[in-house]
Amino acid sequence: MSEGNGFLYAVAGFFFGLFLFYRGIRAFMRKRLIENIPTSKIRSIAMGMVEIFGRVEPQTAKKILRSPMSKKDCVYYKYKVEEYRSSGKSGHWVTIDKGEKGLPFHVRDDTGVVLVDPKGASVDIPKDFHFSTGFRKKEPETLLSFIKESGIKYNFGIIFKKNMRFSEHFLAPNDRCYVMGEAADNPFVEDATGKRNADDIMIRKPESGIKYYITDKGEKEILSSLNRAVLGGLILGPLLSIGCLLIIFLYTGINI
Amino acid sequence: MALGLEVILIFVGALFLTGIAVYFISVYNGLVRLRNNIKKSWGNINVLLKQRSDELPKLISSVKGYMKHERETLSVLTKARTDFLKAKTMSEKAEADGLISGALKTIFAVAENYPNLKANENFKQLQERISGLENELADRREFYNDSVNNFNIRIESFPDMFVARMMSLKPQEMFKVSDGDTKDVDVKFD
Repeated sequence: MSEGNGFLYAVAGFFFGLFLFYRGIRAFMRKRLIENIPTSKIRSIAMGMVEIFGRVEPQTAKKILRSPMSKKDCVYYKYKVEEYRSSGKSGHWVTIDKGEKGLPFHVRDDTGVVLVDPKGASVDIPKDFHFSTGFRKKEPETLLSFIKESGIKYNFGIIFKKNMRFSEHFLAPNDRCYVMGEAADNPFVEDATGKRNADDIMIRKPESGIKYYITDKGEKEILSSLNRAVLGGLILGPLLSIGCLLIIFLYTGINI
Repeated sequence: MALGLEVILIFVGALFLTGIAVYFISVYNGLVRLRNNIKKSWGNINVLLKQRSDELPKLISSVKGYMKHERETLSVLTKARTDFLKAKTMSEKAEADGLISGALKTIFAVAENYPNLKANENFKQLQERISGLENELADRREFYNDSVNNFNIRIESFPDMFVARMMSLKPQEMFKVSDGDTKDVDVKFD
């Protein structure tokens, strides 16, 4: 590492530490919000900010999507295609295609069912499909059909394949689902015509600007991952920044 | 003091102050939100209590022709409804709510002995509607108590208690329905 590079890394590390600190604060605020809202039973859901937990169901048998890479039935998906680009001795991954699609779907708990519109939500679900190209690695048929449909240039020459990775996340019927959002009027039914209370309600992105959150984790898992983000951000962030600041001073010759 | 050390101390101080300020704002806003959650969840219970209270006269008029021997139960229900409509405080409403729930349970249990009443469409619809409201009420009481519990824990926890004291926040009362109130009303069969 040359001296100039070291200085630049230290400056980058300083700002990255500040970014971690900022993320820690955001995670702390979100953790507080989740802790403050008790989980509602769907049967008795009331208008306003709510938190529900249940299982995914498509709105109707026809209102279902097909995930693009693994061709699985789902109500929401997002995908990403990345390509490795080399420059000299180093290289980095570049996103060359990504997409997301969702349909309103139902969430059912042991008391009832409610409609959820995933538009505008921060959807936190693990990867359901992942494939990296490699020597003698055979691509699944469903992935080859996705590559063909989306017109991605996958090969160079006749034999060689580019160094690429494909990932896909989706919410499938019967998946666990935690939703924190705003319960509002259901635009698909006339006011107060629903047989049950929850029929007149749809959960959507809050108008107040509070983050709309959908995940397949349980509340305890969400809180423990936020706890890690809070501790990591508020402790490691400042430590990293201070460490990098010391290095910057060494480079610039400022006395400590 | 060396310049570098001064800068580091200022930086650490600024981060510390930012952390404290954000923490204070977050705790303050969180407590305000929790206090409002309680008000809102109480309002949501009240809406259902009112809806159920509106259904009771219809229920009484549909059953009184059949249940001639259960006048006592019907009068308990009528009185509990009147108490509910007069109630001002949460504990008065909770007490009337418990009496109504108990009387309703009895009426629906006793209705099993009246095949003609059980077959009456109007009664069936009312029973379904009121039972649905009762279930929703049970969920909302639980939600209200969860909101109160969150609030009470938060204002007594360290270090949130300091902000709570500055805001003069006091622990809130749970929605308690005494066991006696929800007991089925005794019915004497002639």
